[in-house]
Amino acid sequence: MVAAATIRPDENLKKFFYASLIFHCVLVVTVTVSTYFSQTGENWGAPGGSVTVGLVGSVPAIPLPQPEVVSPNRVVDESKGLFKSESQPKPQPVPEATPIPKFERDKPPKYITHPSKVLENSTPPPPNAVPYGGGGTPSVPVTSFAMGATGTTAAGLAVTGAGGGDFASRFGAYVAAVQRRISSEWLQSTIDPGLTWGPRVEVTFDILRDGTITNIQLSQSSNNRSLDTSAIRAVQSSSPLLALPAAYSGSRVSVDFYFDYRR
Amino acid sequence: MTSNRLMARKVAIPVAWLLIAAGGLFFDPSSVSAQDWFKTGTGLGVTKARVAVPDTVARSAFTQPLPKTFHDVLWADLDYSGILDLVSPSFYPLQTPGQASELKAQDWAAAPANTNMIAYGNMTTDGSSIAFAGYLSDVQNAASPPAIQKIYRGTATDSDARRLAHQFADDIIAFLSGGQPSIAQTKIAYVSERGGNKEIWVMDYDGANQQEVTHLRSISLTPRWSPDATRIAFTCYVPFRTVTSAQICMYSASSNRLIAFPRYRGTNSSPAWSPDGSQIAFMSSQNGDPEIYVTTSDGTHLHRITFAAGVSTSPAWNPKTGKQLVFVSDRGGSPVLYLSDSDGSNVQKLDLPDMGYVVDPAWSPNGQLLAFSWRRPSGNYDIYAMDIVSRQLVELTKDAGRNERPSWAPDGRHLVFESTRTGTRQIWSMLADGTQQRQLTFEGQNESPNWSPK
Repeated sequence: MVAAATIRPDENLKKFFYASLIFHCVLVVTVTVSTYFSQTGENWGAPGGSVTVGLVGSVPAIPLPQPEVVSPNRVVDESKGLFKSESQPKPQPVPEATPIPKFERDKPPKYITHPSKVLENSTPPPPNAVPYGGGGTPSVPVTSFAMGATGTTAAGLAVTGAGGGDFASRFGAYVAAVQRRISSEWLQSTIDPGLTWGPRVEVTFDILRDGTITNIQLSQSSNNRSLDTSAIRAVQSSSPLLALPAAYSGSRVSVDFYFDYRR
Repeated sequence: MTSNRLMARKVAIPVAWLLIAAGGLFFDPSSVSAQDWFKTGTGLGVTKARVAVPDTVARSAFTQPLPKTFHDVLWADLDYSGILDLVSPSFYPLQTPGQASELKAQDWAAAPANTNMIAYGNMTTDGSSIAFAGYLSDVQNAASPPAIQKIYRGTATDSDARRLAHQFADDIIAFLSGGQPSIAQTKIAYVSERGGNKEIWVMDYDGANQQEVTHLRSISLTPRWSPDATRIAFTCYVPFRTVTSAQICMYSASSNRLIAFPRYRGTNSSPAWSPDGSQIAFMSSQNGDPEIYVTTSDGTHLHRITFAAGVSTSPAWNPKTGKQLVFVSDRGGSPVLYLSDSDGSNVQKLDLPDMGYVVDPAWSPNGQLLAFSWRRPSGNYDIYAMDIVSRQLVELTKDAGRNERPSWAPDGRHLVFESTRTGTRQIWSMLADGTQQRQLTFEGQNESPNWSPK
């Protein structure tokens, strides 16, 4: 039985009721009076009552700050971060007093020596370098007709013309493959759509033994940046190319590649 | 005294360099200028190589027609590569070479064959194993050694003969395309319900060798190969404490079984791998609205990246950069494609010149083209490809059933998709310009293909 919550009928509540009534009357009067006396200032805005506001949002000369918009952050979420914050390094104890080192008397060098740029060259050899004496047949153009043999590289040496220019005739299929690859990587949609014709662009590069393309240079520009960029990107995205033919003994081949653009 | 010596050195060093430089002018070693070079270019159209593929010469007695199988598969692979023209066999000279010394290059180079390259070889067997000696020669330039000269070995079975032919075709295509990835050994994962339930199946890229890989006896959907082709993530419906909901499942192709992946509340579907294989984006309704979430490939570090009312689903990563996502969302009314950065910022709508539903985005391997299926208000579901930079559109299929869910081959030249043009839903593949469409599956209903990355 919930005895505490029930009200006994014999209990007199009248004096509580009157006390409450008087308290509320005093409260209402106090609120009314204080409202009347606290109205001391002018109306909000001008004395006339109405305010005219000129819109300046469309005037670009006024450097208004951007309104601060609170929006949910899409990058940061409440979960744990991606990176742990690094702990502070422990402070190293400062060593106790150390003896002052004794200086030897400064002697000027007898003469100034410069490190030799040739003998002390620390550049490592390129990864495709053929070690001295370790290569195969010499890297000199070989033609078969000179010896009447049937196309073996050991047929003999017959240097033609300025030297080195007959790679295309010896490995025509390789050259055609390079041409097809770079053509297919040439994304003409990245060229300025207003351009309907462009002068020839020439890009030179080297193909290493494993097909990697290095040393890409724009040797002749078309004076249109998007066309030049698309040509260089075509070469860059073609790397690695096919490895150089096994029958070829050199370590690299230079290529002069041109792009003719007609829309 | 000291200053005099220093002065003497100052004069002597430049003089010595001058002398050395002058000497260099006269004793220029010819080896410096003997650097090999060639000049070529592009712009006026590139002609495809004309390749002849004569019959495979059998050098020993075969009980099965393996040389013929080899030649047929090789022919089909090369024909479908899209980068070369095959010379018709009726133009071939009568003599069929089996090795490099038997090749009469001038016969093949002359009219009517007009061949550039010839792929040929001979096959031998000892009863249990086979060996194919393959050659690719440039007949226009008879002096050059064969570009390919390789021996391929396997067991004397039909499937191994096919495998060797795919390997030889891969080598030929890699050579002729200048080192681009070739697809003759790739596979296609797809969903088939020929066994009664929708399960994940895998087949060779030409439709041969179809095999069921999951046996969940429920519904499995949207298979996606991981970038290293060792795993397949897919949508599965597996019961857990009497509740069946769509979840992401993971199949290991190397160990042929399902591996663990966490369950989430709500519906979870359409996984997509990041190009480095470290992350998976998928749709999940775990917090009510179907949104895109990203997790690492082992299921940790889950976070949400889309925050818009409406459904966001079917994410796909830019495979070249890994820094962009494309996904489908109906936040603007009807489902269309949106691009965003991979953290979900910088969302922009891909505007198309017409209304309609746009779903199933697939990004080409070089990040340049976006293939998707689009139902325009006038007609059917068809496959389109869009150049992301210039926003130019190409319609790849036209008025032949419903064509949906394209997926790119790793060479960027082929697409696989599902089509209802035969009356049933089947897997088809085509060149990325819409030509050479061919049907790969014929049995039951098959859908949702995904081409393996290698």
